[in-house]
Amino acid sequence: MRTNYNVGAYKQFWKKMIEFSLQVECHIIQAILPEIGKLFALSTKVEEFSDLFPDLDDPELKESWIDGLKEEAKGDRSALARLLKSPRLPYGRVEVEEDDVDDLLRGLTEIRFTIRKTSLKNVTDEELESGMPSLRSSKPDVRIGYFSYLLMAEIQERLIEEIS
Amino acid sequence: MPSHKHCSTLATPILEESTDLDERLATPWKVIVLNDPVNLMNYVVMVFRKVFGYNDTKATKHMMEVHEQGKSVLWVGEREQAENYAYQLQRWRLQTILEKDD
Repeated sequence: MRTNYNVGAYKQFWKKMIEFSLQVECHIIQAILPEIGKLFALSTKVEEFSDLFPDLDDPELKESWIDGLKEEAKGDRSALARLLKSPRLPYGRVEVEEDDVDDLLRGLTEIRFTIRKTSLKNVTDEELESGMPSLRSSKPDVRIGYFSYLLMAEIQERLIEEIS
Repeated sequence: MPSHKHCSTLATPILEESTDLDERLATPWKVIVLNDPVNLMNYVVMVFRKVFGYNDTKATKHMMEVHEQGKSVLWVGEREQAENYAYQLQRWRLQTILEKDD
């Protein structure tokens, strides 16, 4: 009996990857990744989906709306967890399966909101948007939070460039 | 067989309910995105393109409105579709509200 070497049979295992290198020094990434891991663990605790529901005076819709957002956010967090566990990320290399990109983009947004509400809670919106000039006088946890916030933004920005 | 009077008492609330529903469906709703200090500009443009199918120029125009004026009306239309858009935008973590278009 002849063996079927049809390449198409293997196509289902082939996933397109998006890969790029970050313009951030490795020692910075390696220093803040453990902190990002801690912030990631906080994401579920600080999520405030109930605040998002539009004022529609419809309790049933509100419940299904919030439950839906919570459920779908799990996929976003899984994609972010895969990135944070990636062995090449500490060396500035981002590798994402194409199918994971949307989830990862949302996961990155969520963790940036988490950082905003925790480490950067005392920073004003103006400072944050302008690049936080008073960084030198900030406490270490604020500085780490800010670098984490920037690193997540850098990955998000590069990812959007790659898919555009 | 129910009396005529009994039938007429049943008919009234059904008619009112139907009128309410018609009014509710007829009123247009606005999908409004609010500014936030976290989301990146190119992220917001990308989301508008994905959710509404807008081209880059239109998506960028709305993003700039959000950034400079604090909010932008992205879409106006029937409530069910407006809810659908608002849900999708919130899925992408954009602060979105719905308002009746009076």
